Amino acid sequence: MIVSQNWLKEYVDLPMSVDELTERLTLTGLNLEGVENVDDDVAIDLEVTSNRPDCLGHLGVAREISVLWQLDLKKPAPKPTAAGPSVDSLTSVTVDSPELCPRYTARLIRGVKIGPSPAWLADRLRSLGIAVINNVVDISNFVMMECGQPLHTFDFAKIAGQKIVVRKSKPGEKFTAINHQEYELEPGTCVIADAERAVALAGVMGGADTEVSDHTTDILVEAADFAPLSVRNTARRHNLPSPSSYRFERGVDPEAIDWASRRCCELILQLAGGELAANVIDVAEPAEARPTIKLRFTELPRVLGIEIPSDTVQKILTDLGCAETHICDHCIKVTPPSWRADLTREIDLIEEVARIHGYEQIPEDTGVKMVASTRSREDRVLEQTRAMLTATGFDEAMTISAIDRSWVDLFRPWSEADPLVTSTPVLRRANCLRQTLVPSLLSARRTNETLSNPIIELFEIADIYLPQAGELPDQRRMLGLSSGSGFLELKGVIEALVAAIAPDAQLTAIEYSAQLFTAKRGAELSLAGRKLGFLGEVSTWGLKQFDLRDNTTVAEIDLGVLVDAAIEIRKVVPLSPYPPVGRDLNVVVDEKVCWADVERLVRTGCESLLENIAFQEVYRDDERLGKGKKSLLFSIQLRSAEQTLTNEQADEVRDNIIAALAKELGGQLRA
Amino acid sequence: MALSEFLASLDNLAEQARAAFASADSSESLEAARIDYLGAKSGQVRKVQQGLGKVDKADKPTAGKRFNEVKNLIEAALAEATQQIGTGNEEITEPFDVTLPGRPTRVGHLHPITQTIREMKDIMGRLGFTAVEGPEIEDDWHNFEALNIPLSHPARDPLDNFYLATAEKLEKPLLLRSQTSTVQIRVMENTPPPVRIISLGRVYRPDTADATHYPMFHQIEGLLIDRGVTMADLKSVLRLFCQSYFGGEDKVHVRFRPSFFPFTEPSVEVDMNWQGGWMEMGGAGMVDPNVLRAVGYDPEEVTGFAFGLGVERICMRQHGITDIRALYQNDVRFLEQF
Repeated sequence: MIVSQNWLKEYVDLPMSVDELTERLTLTGLNLEGVENVDDDVAIDLEVTSNRPDCLGHLGVAREISVLWQLDLKKPAPKPTAAGPSVDSLTSVTVDSPELCPRYTARLIRGVKIGPSPAWLADRLRSLGIAVINNVVDISNFVMMECGQPLHTFDFAKIAGQKIVVRKSKPGEKFTAINHQEYELEPGTCVIADAERAVALAGVMGGADTEVSDHTTDILVEAADFAPLSVRNTARRHNLPSPSSYRFERGVDPEAIDWASRRCCELILQLAGGELAANVIDVAEPAEARPTIKLRFTELPRVLGIEIPSDTVQKILTDLGCAETHICDHCIKVTPPSWRADLTREIDLIEEVARIHGYEQIPEDTGVKMVASTRSREDRVLEQTRAMLTATGFDEAMTISAIDRSWVDLFRPWSEADPLVTSTPVLRRANCLRQTLVPSLLSARRTNETLSNPIIELFEIADIYLPQAGELPDQRRMLGLSSGSGFLELKGVIEALVAAIAPDAQLTAIEYSAQLFTAKRGAELSLAGRKLGFLGEVSTWGLKQFDLRDNTTVAEIDLGVLVDAAIEIRKVVPLSPYPPVGRDLNVVVDEKVCWADVERLVRTGCESLLENIAFQEVYRDDERLGKGKKSLLFSIQLRSAEQTLTNEQADEVRDNIIAALAKELGGQLRA
Repeated sequence: MALSEFLASLDNLAEQARAAFASADSSESLEAARIDYLGAKSGQVRKVQQGLGKVDKADKPTAGKRFNEVKNLIEAALAEATQQIGTGNEEITEPFDVTLPGRPTRVGHLHPITQTIREMKDIMGRLGFTAVEGPEIEDDWHNFEALNIPLSHPARDPLDNFYLATAEKLEKPLLLRSQTSTVQIRVMENTPPPVRIISLGRVYRPDTADATHYPMFHQIEGLLIDRGVTMADLKSVLRLFCQSYFGGEDKVHVRFRPSFFPFTEPSVEVDMNWQGGWMEMGGAGMVDPNVLRAVGYDPEEVTGFAFGLGVERICMRQHGITDIRALYQNDVRFLEQF
């Protein structure tokens, strides 16, 4: 809301500087947005919160100033002189939809002379940046900016049947607004109509057909109240926001409607001449009685933390226009003014008292009670995860939670269900809530490739959204990884992560095929028997989907599973004082035998003596080993907690292992 | 010569040699000292060795053993002095450039938003607030109704929210949460007072992406509900937070400006003093009695405050980031600066 300094002076003295004025207003609810000099005037842009439509006119802002500086408010008392027949003999108003239009008033002025506005009126509007059109239109804009009540003036000669009907639009009904654009109205739109057609979108915009022009002689002045939600929907659906709709959406002062109409008529008679028909047509639903609100004085310190003397409270409330109905030692009861529909409860009055008394009165150094806060298990695990990943060279990415529909089917490891879709895309075409982080990370990888960044190691911790019928979606926290290294390197990172967080839980991998993964180089990971996630080298097809040049390996880990398996407090294992003994093994097995099976047998065979098993390499040689064979090289380190192991004992363990490998897997010790 | 005499001369020699080597301050003076003591022809050690012949025959094994020990000691002292003086034999050592860069160790970087959130959580944790999270996809009740935002409120306009499209009309339409206050409602519904939490996470609003807007961003919101919680407590907690986060040596003050939020009454904007002016921190207020009632609390029994801070705005200001989109582009060169 832009206010003019000169204009404000008509209602309240302004002995203070603009800086002082705007500083105080900012601290009491009218936030300063900007100040601009316009000729010899100052235009002050104030931010008015949606609960304060009373400040969407100069009178309302002047009222705030008068309360803050204890100055008199000079409000005009319009008394337009009527002559001639009563208005209801000349026109009629029918309100078909009172739920959309609680009140409609009409006055009629005949024989006006349309012309330019006088300089003082034009200046007022120019200071606010409002286009100057002609005396009648300018007056209706002036009155709106004076008191916040939007008005509309119709060229009465163009009103078919000389009657006004407030109704809902008919299916397919068309309307040409004063911007000369034709709109097909959404059914149920509140319109002002004459006997034949819609002549205005109620509270939003007038129509071209009945617009006041240079040839207009008779004016119908509309001052009404329209339902906020209806006005908002009309303005939104037809993309026609206006100063009028802005005010109706926030609510107008029901008792100022007639004042505004009289003020408008008085100015028209003064500046454009003509004759005002006697009386007013006023179609109104019975106004709701304004509440009487009790404010207990003890509530002020309970909420604000400061004492405010009861006479200060009383003065602030009555200055603001509240009518006092009771005061005693304990409480005050008031009826708020008609322009403050936002005041309905005790807490609303507390806020009024607080802001006028001044928030600077509230101290910033009370002794707030000390309590212990706790960190969740998940928080600790996430912290550890982030530390591990940055230590292993990964940068943390952050990508948006919605993805393009075309990415949904590229990789579906967690769910086959249709993704949740937003009614409007979150960003560009991304309207599907993602069920995996992998495509987003591959896209981030692509961004980096196009920027020629040589090393792209990314991780992200974010949620995925798996639909569940009849419930909020299953939202799971995932760790996504995309690396320029290979399968085993990335697996090593995951193993290190799991070892750091859940050292006792067994991590296993089984082959997993997906179109996104290179054949044989994808795995599903489990932790202590629960599905942990997926890991794989991206296939040529997969790289192509994201326009990627270089190979990448991706992984996705369900952090919920990791959190469940986490061991937060470690217990030490007593260390053996005896020396370890090592043995190297080289076992030839069939190609189909996998390392995990070998490792399992070794672990069983060594029982509690195994301290470490280290895989060295796999070796294939058709001539020396035979076709379809491979040799696995690994070493074991044995240590006993009770004694120094002898070479004979270590050899015995090794021989047992070899026997087991031979029996279970057909493995042969390589000579 | 008596054995004792010989042994004393050995000890004396060892002591002198050690002192001579230690006091040498250049390779030249050390070399001179070496010749003086260990010189093959006329070094003092050589001379003392000659004295060995004069020792009684019976004492010779003892004297010889001791002589060898002392000789070793003197040689060791020379080696030590040589090393200290830095006269390594350059002819036989490989050339080495100590100014070469070390072997690179790649270290990753945390996203600046993560770092901002972590710092905020740490500070609020020290102030006794426990961090909680909740679902990003919410129902009308938690995102609006319970927060005192009725159906007629502009904030509920479908164009201002990401409602989920569903085939059938749901009794409770779902949407991407537009604020993290939803988590506060969930906590209050399940916990009797006192409650002292911060809720944080991603929120979504249909803004067109530009330098200062992005349809997804992060919020952190504090909530304290207890008997006797006042606006002075709110101001004090916010001042402590700002002091910890930004203050350093400077004394920080906060000020309130009246504002309007459906879920708080009174509602304020919070500013802190910053480089001679005031910097906007976020919104705050006393929890609206309607909200307390909606979660089953008695506003006559307890009061509470809530505040919300935009993580991106604070992060961007602190790091001098001028385009919010940079946070979500994931250019490694950007990420590596944090």
